Amino acid sequence: MNRREVLGALGAASASSLLWALGCGGRQDEAPRAPIAREDQVRAWLHDAVARLAAAGFAAPHALALTRRRTAAANDVLGAAVRRARADAVVLAVRDQDGALREQVTADVSADGVAAAVSALAAAAKPARVDFGRPIIAADGSPQPHDEELLAFADAIRTRDEALNSRIVYRAELVEIDDARVWSVAPGRDLEQRLVRVRQVATRVAWNGTRPIVAEVSRAWLGPAGSDELGKEAIEDATRGALALMTPAAFEDGEHAIVLAPSVVASIIDAAVPALLTTAAMRLPEVARRLELGAGAASAAITLVDDPTAGGNFDAYGGFHFDDEGEPASALMLVDRGHIVGRIADQAGVAAGRAPVAGRGRRPGHVGRVEPAASHLVLAPGTAAQTALRDDGFVLEGALGAVVDPASDRLVVSIARARELAHGNETGRVFGELELVANLGALLASVAAVSKETETFGFRDEVDGRPRWRSIAAPWLSARGTVRARRRPA
Amino acid sequence: MAERAGHGARAAEAGVIDLKDLVRALDQRRVADWTVIQRDEELAVLDETAPRLRRAERRTRWQLTVHVDSADGRGSARVALDGSAEDAGDVVARAAALARASLGSAWQSAPPSAPARVRLTDDALASAEPLAAADGIVRGLKRPGRLAVTATVAVAREQVHAASRDGLRATWLAALARADVLVASAAHSLAITREVRQLADLDLDAALAAAPAELDAIAQASAPTPGPCTLVLATDALLHGGLGVWEAFAHQADAAVERAGLTRYRERMPIAPGADHVHEPLTIASDGALDYATRSAPLGDDGDAVRRFTLVERGIAVGLGLSPREAALRNRDPNGGVRNLVVAAGSWSGAAGDAGPDRVVEIRRLRALAIDPFTGDASLEIALGFAGGKPFTGGTVRLDLIDALARAHRSRTRIRRGAYDGPAAVWIEHAELIP
Repeated sequence: MNRREVLGALGAASASSLLWALGCGGRQDEAPRAPIAREDQVRAWLHDAVARLAAAGFAAPHALALTRRRTAAANDVLGAAVRRARADAVVLAVRDQDGALREQVTADVSADGVAAAVSALAAAAKPARVDFGRPIIAADGSPQPHDEELLAFADAIRTRDEALNSRIVYRAELVEIDDARVWSVAPGRDLEQRLVRVRQVATRVAWNGTRPIVAEVSRAWLGPAGSDELGKEAIEDATRGALALMTPAAFEDGEHAIVLAPSVVASIIDAAVPALLTTAAMRLPEVARRLELGAGAASAAITLVDDPTAGGNFDAYGGFHFDDEGEPASALMLVDRGHIVGRIADQAGVAAGRAPVAGRGRRPGHVGRVEPAASHLVLAPGTAAQTALRDDGFVLEGALGAVVDPASDRLVVSIARARELAHGNETGRVFGELELVANLGALLASVAAVSKETETFGFRDEVDGRPRWRSIAAPWLSARGTVRARRRPA
Repeated sequence: MAERAGHGARAAEAGVIDLKDLVRALDQRRVADWTVIQRDEELAVLDETAPRLRRAERRTRWQLTVHVDSADGRGSARVALDGSAEDAGDVVARAAALARASLGSAWQSAPPSAPARVRLTDDALASAEPLAAADGIVRGLKRPGRLAVTATVAVAREQVHAASRDGLRATWLAALARADVLVASAAHSLAITREVRQLADLDLDAALAAAPAELDAIAQASAPTPGPCTLVLATDALLHGGLGVWEAFAHQADAAVERAGLTRYRERMPIAPGADHVHEPLTIASDGALDYATRSAPLGDDGDAVRRFTLVERGIAVGLGLSPREAALRNRDPNGGVRNLVVAAGSWSGAAGDAGPDRVVEIRRLRALAIDPFTGDASLEIALGFAGGKPFTGGTVRLDLIDALARAHRSRTRIRRGAYDGPAAVWIEHAELIP
């Protein structure tokens, strides 16, 4: 197959296929929003629900409501497409006399729907008198862009890219907005937040020999969609990454001095934190034994914080004002100069004694089952310029996925390319399709320096069709690790 | 198709549109074709992790697919609704407008075919409340002594109603139970996962009975010895994560990817050089009408009838999963896409000792399986293996799965699990274990 055929074939798939590939399920549209008046009534319905559940004798009644709109605009070599979807739900959670949790969930966000959900948990009871306190509303005035504006945002990503050339056989740009309004009501707590999560992605594909090379760059944040966070330099780096000609010689497997690019660091953090640093992970005896609070787990250069407030700016893609159990957002230190000092925890994890503080009880799509999950992880930057981290060895760029085995600490990261370094300079040799294989603890212990420059990445995946959002700010790291070719010479 | 006795279409929830509203609104629109699928879902989760959780959920979801024809081609739009009060007319109007704005190549919908006849739930899951069914599964666990067993069981039941412009009307009941069981000793743990449409398929007793021995093996496991080997993939490794290594063929049989020229092999060609001349050439079928299999359904998401078709026949690629659009562009009938995989058994006894004269490495469990969908290249990260009868943990095996499975020796013992029906184990020559 020649490149023209590939172009045609990929182009035939076009932007609508891109939306499929990104988990958007094809070209979709939302129904028009229900009247705003209904959203104003939601708080009253939740108050009534909590009052009735309290009257029925349940402990810790909590009501959470959600209206969420998702919009994705994609633009590729042959066309553009917009997809919209909508989800509404109410979650009622209580603790019964045995201390067990009970939850009732309905997609019917109406007075009758909420009342029916209450009735499923408790027999009709006269509402108890409950003091909810003063409502705290974290408003976000970000406007909802029209389809045309969204497509213009996607197109603007393309026009910023001056590195595009005819060797790029496929390019696509995506702008995706998850606009969620969440109400959380419990005795003494009456909260509302609007979270507008924006993600911009540029994808580039070029041939290298007989294999397509895919490079992707993304930026994600909370706030208005029109920002040009995904800048010209980052987009052109992706294009150059796809165009990079790989050295045909076989890569020499072995332990090397390595510089990990922020995308690789973020990929490792994204795999390691859920596997090792949550109260759910502590259920595994292999993890509980190895990673007690206070245990040394990394070099002193490593400090890791989960901060949903993003330093008080509330602009991180994975951030929030309160979690899905109604806990206000606050920063949580996980690793302090190499020592484990905290764990990602929900209220159940704290009740089970696996962590001292909650605040990370998150529900996929805000309505799925609660799980302890990170919000905005920040690996503290160092003081050195990233170029100063380079000596002999390799710069590893373009993480394609990482796996951490919680039982053994084994880490495998698929890497798009490694640039060879000699005396701090690139030799021009670039190797593709590699993997970094290490014991995670040993790799982190070998970290010698951390750059002052950082990049932030947004991650979105789905559980039972419901999204989970998180973000990671990561610097460059210098370390030692085993790098080897993923493909054996034929 | 399984109908739930005594359960017709559930009355619409307050403030929620229903199927009739949508059909009526669609009939009033001048669109070339449409399909509506309504799913009334009841979901329950019982989680034994302290504090114990009992969760019940009820929702109605719609999926509306609209096609609009013009002189410039056909435009399509799909609307997903998972919420409350909406206006059916507005939903349809918006979908039609979007379809008109997204014209692509012209194609015509095939006339509707009869939905596949398939059982998607047993009486127990159909009749019990989902939470009660989950409760029953948890209570029925045969927990091995001296080990901590924590189960999370989710039961989902849905009444599905499908309607299309051509008059197709179908209703069916489906259920799915998923059990995630963590078995832990003081120092080690292992996870057991099963997903079934009938309780008899759960097969948790045998897995729980085997757990103490597996945990002992993990406790005694040493590091792997690298080098060439003959590889035996036992059932849990073979089916890691669902279809396991066989997922490589599901990727390759995606018609859209094949049309893009991005698949490893082409129709009517051997799936790998010489694959049609090996001792027992590989045959794989997709059967979306397999009773109680987890990827079975009467109709696909676009209202297309699900059909059984052959993907690979004696080493030759012969079929692809075809959506209505892909089928129309190829002048064929849609088949509902690749669903459950039925793999022909072989003649191997299934015993590792019979797997040739070379060093045999038997892999029981994987930590991770990564498959490149375009090439079929895979990395298998080993959680528990045996070499020379001694357990080991760690290490990686890289395989060209298309080639390796085309030549693999398949056991004559079959197993049905989830979306898979085929040999319980395979052995692969000329593999290499790397540290």
